[in-house]
Amino acid sequence: MRHVTSVAGRELRSLFVSPVAYGVLSLFSVLAGIFFILDLAWFEQVLLRYQQYPDQLADFNLNDGLIREFYGSMSIVLLFVIPGITMGTYAAEKTNGTEELLLTSPLTIWDIVLGKFLAGALFISLLVAIVGLFPGLLFAYGGPEIGKTASGLLGLMLTGWIYVAIGGLASAITRSQIIAFLITLVALLILLLIPAVADFGVAGSAPVVADALRYLSTQVHFDPLLNGLIDTADLAYFAVMIGSFLLITKAAVESARWR
Amino acid sequence: MIEAKGLSKRYGDLVAVNDVSFLVAKGEVVGFLGPNGAGKTTTMRMLTGFLPPTDGTASIDGHDIFGAPIPARRSIGYLPESPPLYPEMSVGSFLEYVARIKDVARSARREAVDRALERTALTEVRRQVIGTLSKGYRQRVGLAQAIVHDPPVLILDEPTAGLDPLQIREIRSLITELTDPSKGEGQQTVILSTHILAEVEAICRRVILINEGRKVVDAPIDELTSGGTTLDEVFTRQIARDSAAEALEGTQGAET
Repeated sequence: MRHVTSVAGRELRSLFVSPVAYGVLSLFSVLAGIFFILDLAWFEQVLLRYQQYPDQLADFNLNDGLIREFYGSMSIVLLFVIPGITMGTYAAEKTNGTEELLLTSPLTIWDIVLGKFLAGALFISLLVAIVGLFPGLLFAYGGPEIGKTASGLLGLMLTGWIYVAIGGLASAITRSQIIAFLITLVALLILLLIPAVADFGVAGSAPVVADALRYLSTQVHFDPLLNGLIDTADLAYFAVMIGSFLLITKAAVESARWR
Repeated sequence: MIEAKGLSKRYGDLVAVNDVSFLVAKGEVVGFLGPNGAGKTTTMRMLTGFLPPTDGTASIDGHDIFGAPIPARRSIGYLPESPPLYPEMSVGSFLEYVARIKDVARSARREAVDRALERTALTEVRRQVIGTLSKGYRQRVGLAQAIVHDPPVLILDEPTAGLDPLQIREIRSLITELTDPSKGEGQQTVILSTHILAEVEAICRRVILINEGRKVVDAPIDELTSGGTTLDEVFTRQIARDSAAEALEGTQGAET
């Protein structure tokens, strides 16, 4: 455990001594601001339109009409940001030659894999905290449900953690950061498209496959959290996904030496 | 202190290292010699546990490199062919990190880093970012990370490669100092690889020559040069003889 925090600490420090972390944090904040304003404008427009329909107006609220949309947009932004953060996780160790230092130090492979994941997960949690500031503002001017707001944020964070685990694996299987970036981006886009494939592609012909695909989709498990529903089955999905990718990453790091 | 037992490494049909065995006693400084591509780096990587051997095993300070990898790795200071450095970190924080992952106790860490900086004459660049350092300085940082935890065994892969003559002299005197018993330091056991004969003569008392993955010579330098021959002559002759024997073996194999 001591080694895990050592590895994580170095990883985070490297992010913060270079301009990368600050660049990502500021650009991410700007994007979050833009999306929040756009979602807010859309929310007001809908609100105006619903003035004539009291039934719809009664169902319309800040959580479903604004925060949900905003979190959804930010999960897409994360999908593009995370490959950039994770691409160097292992690939940079190989090009720096520090892979030899790590693997000849009294560390286990798990120390390395967990340390690196922890660093990525903490950085993503910081990004999600920035996202949380915007709905936080709404509490000053309106009355969103605090539980629903928080559970959506939790879903966003867990989604980000899965992305980090996938990005780490991509980085472990190549020496090139650019290839790691592209693999991660494509993998995350595929993960995003899974529900569509399940619904339109195979639902009619192979319902079992469609169900299996739907279970794999992050979106499907993120949705209940956006609705304020914290189900242990969904939490288990996030844990299983992260655990599986870390396990494969560990095998990939280990096998690199056997070639 | 260092024991290699029948180390072999094969990549498919290519034999990089073939049945290499040797024993290095505590306090010895052994030069690992051979032409480029002879298998020096591969052998060293197997000794440090970075590369698993196809056959054979090695032990460091009594710990089998695969049976008890953690204590074995704790006893090794390793400078790979290209020094393992994070260009974005400062020299001081990098060494502190290495001390942490090498299991230097928290209370001793600061002192260990200070001492490594002092011994490699890096104290004045402590706060500098590694990426901005010259090649000579980087090589020294590489050496500092190998000695920061004061390991009983040092494995140095071409510690002077690519340096200018002045820097080469500095590194050599540093290695001599590290292994000088009169200095009262931990008396480190050192294996260093090189293809520069003068380097071996300057710092080592014993040489192991490998050619095409096989051990050809393993003897003290005094013994090899006792007849008035230079090391240069000894090695040219040995490598030529070894390659000829290999070629002969090959033709015999083809005939039968």
